[in-house]
Parts: sequence; structure tokens; C-alpha cells
Amino acid sequence: MKRVGFILLLVCVLGGTAVRAQQPPSRPWHELSPEEQQRAWENYQRYQQLPEHKQRSLGERYQRFQALPPQEQQRLRQNYETYRGFDPGQKQEFGQKYRRWKSQR
Amino acid sequence: MRCRRAQRWMVATVDGELAPRRRRMLEGHVASCPECRRDLAGTGAVLERVAGLGMECEVPSRLEQATLRRIRLLAAAEEERTAARGWWTVFRAPALALATAAVAIAAVVLTRGAGDRLPVASRVVGQRRVAAEALARERSRMVASREGGAVRVAKNIPAEPPPELAAAPELFMELPILRNLEKLEHFEAIRTTTLDDGGAQSNG
Repeated sequence: MKRVGFILLLVCVLGGTAVRAQQPPSRPWHELSPEEQQRAWENYQRYQQLPEHKQRSLGERYQRFQALPPQEQQRLRQNYETYRGFDPGQKQEFGQKYRRWKSQR
Repeated sequence: MRCRRAQRWMVATVDGELAPRRRRMLEGHVASCPECRRDLAGTGAVLERVAGLGMECEVPSRLEQATLRRIRLLAAAEEERTAARGWWTVFRAPALALATAAVAIAAVVLTRGAGDRLPVASRVVGQRRVAAEALARERSRMVASREGGAVRVAKNIPAEPPPELAAAPELFMELPILRNLEKLEHFEAIRTTTLDDGGAQSNG
């Protein structure tokens, strides 16, 4: 019984390592392209204007986002691009739907 | 609700970002105040037209600063006039439209020398976008900071990034996604949510 437990634990550890290994490592600043640096810098300035609790919340979300499998991260990026492509009317409608959806949860 | 507060919430509501309770308050006020109703329609129209412009171009940071300074001056002057003469509020919407137009024209004139290589249309569109965004920013600045729009402006990146940025640059690259994480995670479910009884919802 102990042996089975040990094997299961080993499988979990190795499995977790394999999943983490699939995720691209976080790139340092100097490896970002100029466009990426520009984007990060602009967003950093916006971030600085946020209250502390929101900054903390974003840090937590970042941890959560990083823990997601690459396919899921890609899906979220695609969804964001779709959202960005919305015209103002569509954005407004999406906002209404979001509030409705949230109230129904 | 007073007109001043309604004015501050208009941009957020047009973007669909106002909290439901505030939205209801604003709707209630707008329903009974023709001036704010007109102003809201104007704000919506300006932002819609600006967002509808498909082109973006970088503008020199000096131009951005000059534009923002000018908008602040115009806004301060308008606020002063409003405080001094109550009847002036009747002309608030036209004044705002004039301020927007003035800033757009100023932006075109200011960059005529700086960006001659860009097509005129690109320049005008880009500057209008910046001007309208700055206008929206200025209005919201009076109350609270709100999330920045999709405007792209040139910003000087420091040679050495601040430690926080250097430590996790990707956090900041992904910031818009992180801010909307819940919406993006449940994107399809939200999109397929129906608003059949939307009227009841917006009033309830």
C-alpha cells in the first residue's frame, strides 16, 4: 500500500514538473522587443496610478495567469484580441452581458 | 444626483464600465435632466467616432504634453466660468465640443513641422484620437482615475526600467488581460448571455 502511495506521489510530482516545463519561462526585460518594452512601460505607468489593493490583486491574478497551461493563456489572449476588436456598441453590449452573467452566477 | 457627478460618470458608462448601481443613478438623472442627456449623447458620439477610427500613429511626447496642458487649461477655464455664472451650464455641451475641436486643430498645427513624413490623414486621425482620449482622461480626472483607453502614444522608455518593471516585465505586458481576467476566462459564456429582458435589468 505504501509503495502504491509513493508511486502516485511520484507521478504527481513528475507530472507537475512536466506541465511547468511546457510553460515558457518569464523573459527578462532586455529580451523583450522594443514594442513589448513600450507596451510594458505604458502599462507600468497605468499600474502605478492604481490603488495598492488593486495592484496586489493584479499581482495575484498574474500568478494565477502564469499557472495556467499555455493553451489556456493563448485562449485568453485571443479572447482579449476579439474584445479589442469590438466597436463601442459591442463593448457596451458585452459589458451589459457581463453584468447580467455575473448577477446570474 | 448633481449634474457635475453625472458628467464624471459619462465616459465610464459609455464604455460600459460603470458599476450597475452608479449606472442606474446616472440613468435616473439623465432621464430627468435634458442638459445631461444632451451631454451624454455628445460624449457617446465623440467616443464612438474616435473609437471607430481605425488608424493609429505615434505622436511626439512633447505634443502629447502640450495637448494635455491645453486641455487642462480649457477645462480649468470652463470650470471657473461655470462656478462664476450658473447660467453658463446651458452651454456646457457646446463648450466641450469647441474645446475638443480646438485641441484637435492645435494638435494638427503643432505637429505640422514634426511629422511631415506621415500622411496627413494619419496624422489628423492619430491626433484626434489622442485629443479625444485626453479629453476623456481629463473629464474623469476630476473624480477618479479610470482605466486608460486603447490609445497608443509615444512614451519615453527609461534606459533602466524601475525594479518592479524589471522584475516582472511580462506582468505589465499582460496587464490588460489581467485586469479583465474574469471576462476573458468566461468570454463565450458572457457573449452568449441574452439580454432579452435587458430593460428590466437596467432598471432593476
